[in-house]
Amino acid sequence: MVTGARTPLEPLLDALGDGTRRAIVELLRRGPMSVGQIASLLPVSRPAVSKHLKQMQEAGLVTVEPAGARRLYSLEDRALVRLHAWVESFWDEPLRRFKATAERTERERR
Amino acid sequence: MTVITAPVRKTLELTCSPERAFETFTNGIDSWWPKADYSIGGTSVVEVVFEPREGGRIFEIHDDGKEFDWGHVISCERPERLVFTWHPGTDPHTPTEVEVRFTATGSGTLVELEHRHWDRLGDRAGSVRGGYEGGWVEVLAAYGRAAA
Repeated sequence: MVTGARTPLEPLLDALGDGTRRAIVELLRRGPMSVGQIASLLPVSRPAVSKHLKQMQEAGLVTVEPAGARRLYSLEDRALVRLHAWVESFWDEPLRRFKATAERTERERR
Repeated sequence: MTVITAPVRKTLELTCSPERAFETFTNGIDSWWPKADYSIGGTSVVEVVFEPREGGRIFEIHDDGKEFDWGHVISCERPERLVFTWHPGTDPHTPTEVEVRFTATGSGTLVELEHRHWDRLGDRAGSVRGGYEGGWVEVLAAYGRAAA
């Protein structure tokens, strides 16, 4: 959460920071798809979709499996679980500080 | 995938009274909120404000006087319960929501926080970027988009 520092989540944030890539995530939530299938459902060219998928793959957001003559892309649940874990921990530091301050103030008042 | 959109729940026990806990959480927020790492403006933030009344604002103030909203108070039941929207740097019309309960115990106060409605972040409008490192703001927004 430190501003300015590259966290391990950075590539994931970059991947999710683009509208087209988020649209691809939406599509893949329904199930595995090929580049052609994805491109047919978005106002984006096949090469552009391929480029996005490559970045998403490098970020760990999607995986690809050969399926006969086609390659099928799937959403990598682990990436979203990781993001969820981060969200789960978000309040830890603020609440730790809140507790310390609330209890300190009370003691000083006695 | 339902686990991803489940509410975040945090519990802590304090040795002070619910009144002290509530006051510290709201009017006293500037004395404890970790501003540098948990804000839109980072080290530009000079103050955080929590207005403890229905419709009250929760916001950060920068050294140049600019203010950025984090959320608005939906319910303020001193000293037992607070409910507020949470949309720092993101669309105020599709916010997540936070409820904090303060319950008296034999030794002090039980504080329970629930951060929910992650599914609302599905439809995104633009988010505040400016020149700031998004940090946790971006993460929350990105998480919400992916989780919807």
